[in-house]
Amino acid sequence: MMVIRPISDGDLSALVGFAKGSGVGVTTLPDNPELLEQRIFNSVRSFRRSQPKDRCNYVFAMEDTERSTVVGVSAIDANVGREEVWYNYRICKVVHASREIGVHTSNKMLYMTNDLTGVSELCTLFLDECARHGNNGRLLSKCRMLFLAEFREYFSEKIIAEMRGVSDQNGISPFWESLGKRFFQMDFSYADYQVGSGNKELVAELMPKYPIYLFFLSPEAREAIGQTHEYTRPAMAMLQKEGFHFNGYVDIFDAGPVMESFVEDIRAVRESRVVSYHVDDGYEPSLGERTDFVASNRSMEHFRAISLSESQVASDHVRLSSKQADALRLEPASDLRIIPLRY
Amino acid sequence: MHLVRPCTHNDVSSIESLVRDNHARISSLPRKRERLAERIEQSIRSFQQDASLGDGQFFLFVLEDTNTGELLGCSGIAMNNEPKRPFYNYRMDEMIHASERYDVHTPVSVLHLTHELTGRNVLCSFAVRPDLVGSALFELISRARLMFMRQFAASFSDQLVVELQGVYGDEGQSAFWDSLGRNFFNMDYASAEYHVATKSRTLLAELMPVHPIYVTLLSEQAQAVLGKYDESANETHNLLQREGFKPSPYIDIFDGGLVMLARRDKTRTFQETCVKTVRTGSVETGLQHMICNDQFENFRCGMVQLTDGLGDVLRVDKAAMSQLRLDDGNEYYFAKL
Repeated sequence: MMVIRPISDGDLSALVGFAKGSGVGVTTLPDNPELLEQRIFNSVRSFRRSQPKDRCNYVFAMEDTERSTVVGVSAIDANVGREEVWYNYRICKVVHASREIGVHTSNKMLYMTNDLTGVSELCTLFLDECARHGNNGRLLSKCRMLFLAEFREYFSEKIIAEMRGVSDQNGISPFWESLGKRFFQMDFSYADYQVGSGNKELVAELMPKYPIYLFFLSPEAREAIGQTHEYTRPAMAMLQKEGFHFNGYVDIFDAGPVMESFVEDIRAVRESRVVSYHVDDGYEPSLGERTDFVASNRSMEHFRAISLSESQVASDHVRLSSKQADALRLEPASDLRIIPLRY
Repeated sequence: MHLVRPCTHNDVSSIESLVRDNHARISSLPRKRERLAERIEQSIRSFQQDASLGDGQFFLFVLEDTNTGELLGCSGIAMNNEPKRPFYNYRMDEMIHASERYDVHTPVSVLHLTHELTGRNVLCSFAVRPDLVGSALFELISRARLMFMRQFAASFSDQLVVELQGVYGDEGQSAFWDSLGRNFFNMDYASAEYHVATKSRTLLAELMPVHPIYVTLLSEQAQAVLGKYDESANETHNLLQREGFKPSPYIDIFDGGLVMLARRDKTRTFQETCVKTVRTGSVETGLQHMICNDQFENFRCGMVQLTDGLGDVLRVDKAAMSQLRLDDGNEYYFAKL
């Protein structure tokens, strides 16, 4: 069974392994053990509510309980740009017009901003190759919606997700080649690594601060602005179904889109239900259907989430197997929160 | 003889053909006759010191062969001090994007839009019959402006500006324009130039981007012509250089052409000009000089042969005295050509 739980100290080696495998473009999972250890430490404190609210970062681990192995992680950062400076380009339109000479031209421009500072972020979704099947990816992503619904006051009103931008099989980003590279004299993966390692000041010092007219960029680079990497398209589609939309902010390195939504407008948050349960000892639900649900307990420190079959769910009540009840670490007389995995 | 004088209404068709035959693009001299006539009118009123003109003074000089009556060249001074018409340039600055910690540093050139040169007088409207380029007359028509400034120094600014024509392709296209300005106007350089000539340069300048421009993002061709001048302006450049003009970090906003600057008092003309009493006399030999009278409206600066000896008196022949409106016994500025 796949169980979502807060990440713990023992998961460091799994996380280091993921960082090595995640490749270019996943900046929140840098290939740097000390940084990863720090992230786990912050996350553990966050789930225990012993971290200042604006520094909370919740990392969820997906554990395959049969193999006692962590196969994926996902996370929510409560407040981006708290310790480093948070940069995005915002796409603006500028019109130059003169009636006297009959000119009316419209150009797009990239404006460097720190607008999203202080906003919560869905980040770091990584699922190990061996677990990329069935509903695992959805479970790993959607468990965060349950967490958001349950603990709204711990997050900002608006929440964002940065989508990986377009790059080719060699990790070359056309946007970077056309813009950043001219200012850095270093390759994308190195720059990307520096940012992921928390060295945003490097960006601050080296990236162009003045607005950039899009006509200066190569056609490939212009095309890539606001587009997501083909591997990330399913994640993007999922967010869109949840009500996230693109609002003109892009990553300063690869121009991947920033998707955003108000937390209260996220469909899963709006439609999540709190239900009661009973445990049926001999019951073995069959999982892995498109109609599955995801259920979580309502604890922060001992947060758990698992998949449920549709057949387990009645309008305000669910039937759990004893294994599921154990996995959810349910306190007596507590409730569950559920959402469908798909719409 | 050859002399330089303020232009008159009668010069309009001669100036028109000078401008037409010139390789250089002279945005301060419109090709359209009505507009050109307006410029001449503006110049006439400026020489008359017509107070109603306000700050918009513009002095247009012509070089005339008095034997034939033919006009051989023209040159101008724009006061460039109208607050409602700021003078637009880009200034090229270098910034270094550096990180001490990561031991990286990248020099980055940036073009900033600026009005810094507003109020500095601009030497402009320079056109000479093509066969005279590089000759003594070429020098005369250009430097006569500085003689005028020398004579009436209090009327002019301490620092002088010249815009050299940017680099153009065979069909009049400008790589700088194509990489930058064109995106805001949706027209080629020739059309933009037409608007400059028929309407106003300021009107177009106001449509250029106000944000700084990273040079590295311009096309390679545009970068190559940045701060350069067209080869047709070679002789002009050399003359200005001899005069003491220096290249500057300023460039033209439309074609990226070089802007040269000089301190007026350090120019060769200012430095080498002398004053002596002029007497009518016969001149057999001597070197080519330029000499000017002291009249604002009826300014004359001519090329004469002089022997500048140790004495305080210069001899100038009678015909020249009369054409240049010099009075026997008065002191006048003169300089070697």
